[in-house]
Amino acid sequence: MMTRQTVTRRRILKGAVAASALAAAPAIMRQSTAAIPIKIGIPTVITGGYALLGSQVIRTCKLVKKMTDAKGGVLGQPVEFFYQDTQGDPATCARKCQELVERDNCRILSGVIVSSEAAAMLPKLEEWNAIFISHGNGDGRLTAELFVPRFFRANTSAPMGARALALYLKDAPEKKFIAIASDAAWGRSSNAAFEEQIKKVGKDLIDKIYAPVANKDYSPYITKILQSGAHGCYVALQGDEARAFYSQATQYGLAQRVQFFTEIVAQADIKVLGKDAIGLMGSSRYPLTYDIPQNKAFREAFMSEYKNEIPDWSDGEMYQALMILFAAIEKAGSPEPMKIVTAMEDLEVTSVKGPILMRKCDHQGENQGFVVKVAKNDKYAEPIAEIVKIYPRELNTPDCRSASYSK
Amino acid sequence: MNFLGFVLAQCLSALSQAAILFFIACGLTLIFGIMRIVNFAHGVIFMLGAYVGYTTVAVTGSFLLSLIVAPIVVGAVGMAFERIFLRYLYGRRDGGAYLLLTFGLAVVLSELIRIIWGAQPLSAGIPDSLRGIVVILDQPFPLYRLFLIALGIAAAVTIWQFLERTRAGLLIRAVSQNSEMVQALGTDVDLVRTGVFGFGCAMAALGGVLAAPLVTAFLGMGTTVVIDAFVIVIIGGMGSFLGSLIGSILVAFVQVLGAYYFQDLALAFMYFLMLTVLVIRPGGLLGKED
Repeated sequence: MMTRQTVTRRRILKGAVAASALAAAPAIMRQSTAAIPIKIGIPTVITGGYALLGSQVIRTCKLVKKMTDAKGGVLGQPVEFFYQDTQGDPATCARKCQELVERDNCRILSGVIVSSEAAAMLPKLEEWNAIFISHGNGDGRLTAELFVPRFFRANTSAPMGARALALYLKDAPEKKFIAIASDAAWGRSSNAAFEEQIKKVGKDLIDKIYAPVANKDYSPYITKILQSGAHGCYVALQGDEARAFYSQATQYGLAQRVQFFTEIVAQADIKVLGKDAIGLMGSSRYPLTYDIPQNKAFREAFMSEYKNEIPDWSDGEMYQALMILFAAIEKAGSPEPMKIVTAMEDLEVTSVKGPILMRKCDHQGENQGFVVKVAKNDKYAEPIAEIVKIYPRELNTPDCRSASYSK
Repeated sequence: MNFLGFVLAQCLSALSQAAILFFIACGLTLIFGIMRIVNFAHGVIFMLGAYVGYTTVAVTGSFLLSLIVAPIVVGAVGMAFERIFLRYLYGRRDGGAYLLLTFGLAVVLSELIRIIWGAQPLSAGIPDSLRGIVVILDQPFPLYRLFLIALGIAAAVTIWQFLERTRAGLLIRAVSQNSEMVQALGTDVDLVRTGVFGFGCAMAALGGVLAAPLVTAFLGMGTTVVIDAFVIVIIGGMGSFLGSLIGSILVAFVQVLGAYYFQDLALAFMYFLMLTVLVIRPGGLLGKED
C-alpha cells in the first residue's frame, strides 16, 4: 500500500535546518579543532648536571611557540608544550614520559637530553601510542640496533660528528691521536665512531680514555694525554665535564702541545672559557654562522627574544626538530602519531642547517657535516665557532640502521 | 719520559685534589663530631661558596678577597640556619629530623642559587699571579694547583693547632665528648654549636671558591664532591678532624692513580677502600666505634 507524502511547512523547515547543519559542519569542526592545541611533551633535564642543556631546550620551545602561534599555529591549531624534569636519569625519564602521555595526553615527545634516557623510552613508545623526535641524542645505536618505527632522529648523531672530523683530519698535519670521552652511551658511541673513522683515513689512534660521568678532576687524564705523544686529542665530553676538562687543560698548557678536536663545539663552553677557547676545533651540531635565510631568520628571532644570548647547538637542533615535526604534521594533515610517522618518512625540509632528509629506512635525518674553529668575531660579544668545512649529507650520514660507513 | 717527574706530577695532582676534598670533609666531620648531625646540605653550601666567590671577584676584581668574603657570608648563612631551625631539634634523638631539615635546606638553597645566578655556568678565572706552569722534572704542573696544596696544608695545620692548643679548641673537643657536662660547667654549648656549624659551612664555602677555577661554578657542582666527602668522613672516622685529613689524602690518591692506571675501576676503588677500612676498623681510621 502506498502512503501519500505531503509537503508540509514543518517538513520544509526540518529539511532546511538539516541542510544548513550539514553545510556548516566543516566550519564548526574546523573551529572546534582550532581550539584544540597540538600537545608536545618535553621530558628534559631541569635539575642536575645537564640542566643547562635542558634550559636551552625550554627556551627554544618557548620561542617556537611564540613564533608558531603568531603565524596561526600548525594546521590552524596552537602548539602547547608540557615540561617535565627527568634529572638525566633513564628511570625517571620513563616515569615522566608516562605522566606526559597519560595525564597530559601528549603523544609527541621531544627534548630528551641524555642518550640512555632516549634508549629507555624507545620500547615504551608503542604502548604509549606516542612518537619521539630526538633533537640531540647522539648514541649511534638509537637508529641502528635499537631502532623502533616511532622514533626519529632529526639531529646529527655521534658517528656523524666523528665522521665530519675524520674527513677533515684526513688532510690535516696531525698523524697520531688520543681520544677522551665520557663513560656514557653517547661518549662510548662517539669514541667508537672516531676510532673507526680515523683509522679509515689512515691515521693512528694511540689510546682511548673513558672518564666517569660527572668526573671533576681531569689531571690524571691530562697527564696521560701529555705522556702519549699524540698530536691531536679527540674530546667527546659535554656540559660540565667539557668545561672542567678544558679549564684544567688550559691550566696545564695542554692546548699548546696538542690540538683539540671536540665532538660538539658548544657556545656555553666557549662563553665560560672566553679567550682560552680560541683555536678550539671540532664538529658542530648547529653552525651559528651558516649563511642561509632559514638560519638567519632563526638567529635573529632568537637574539631578539633573548637579549645578549647566542643560540647554542641545543637551541639550533631543538628548533630544527620542531620545524621537521611541524612540516610532517602539515603534510599528514593531522597530529595523530601514526599519520606523522608516515608523513615524516622521506620528508625533505630545508632547516637552519640546510637540507635535511628524514630517511625512511632508519628514521635518521641526513644532516650535513660541519667542522668549525672557535675565533673572535666583532659581531658578537664572545668568541664563536666559524665554519671551516661543510661535508654533504650523503657523505656524512652512516649506512642505514648502522653507526658505520661503507662508503 | 721522565718516570720520576711523572710520579711526582701524579702525587702533586692527588695532593691538590686532596686539598679541595679536605675543605669540604673537615667541615662535615666537625659538624658531625659536635652536633651529631649529618649535614645533607654541605654540597650545596660548597656550591654557594663558589657562586658568592664568583660575585666577589666580579664586583671587586680580587680573587684573594673572594677567599675571605665567601667563607664569611656562607658561614653567616650557616649560623643563621642553625639558630633559626636546627636548635629546635637538639632535644630529639632521631637523626631523621636532621636529615630532612638539612635536605630541605639543600633544596631551598639550590633553587635560590638558580634564581639569583641563573642556570648558565659561570666562569671563575684564576688571577694572573696564579696562572702559569711550573716544570718539575720535565713535567708541566699548574701553579694554581701548587697554591691549592699550600693553602690546604696551611689550613690543616692552623685548624689542628686551634683544636689542640687553644681554649676554644678545648671546648669544642669537650662538647664533642660530653656536651651535658660542659653545659653544667657553665659553658654556653649553644654558642659552640652555632660557631662550629658556621665554621664548617665557611670551610665548605672556601673549598667551593677554590674548586670553581677547576670546574667552573655551576648548578650541581656539589653533588659528586659531597659523596666523596661522606666517604672521607667514614674512612677517617665520623667526627675526627685528623681522620678527615688522612681520608682526603687517601681518597684523592686512589682517585688520581685509579683514574690513570685502572680507569674503568677508578670509582670502584674509592668504595673498595671505604669497605676495607670499615671491615678492619668499623669506626673509621681515627673514629670511635659507637
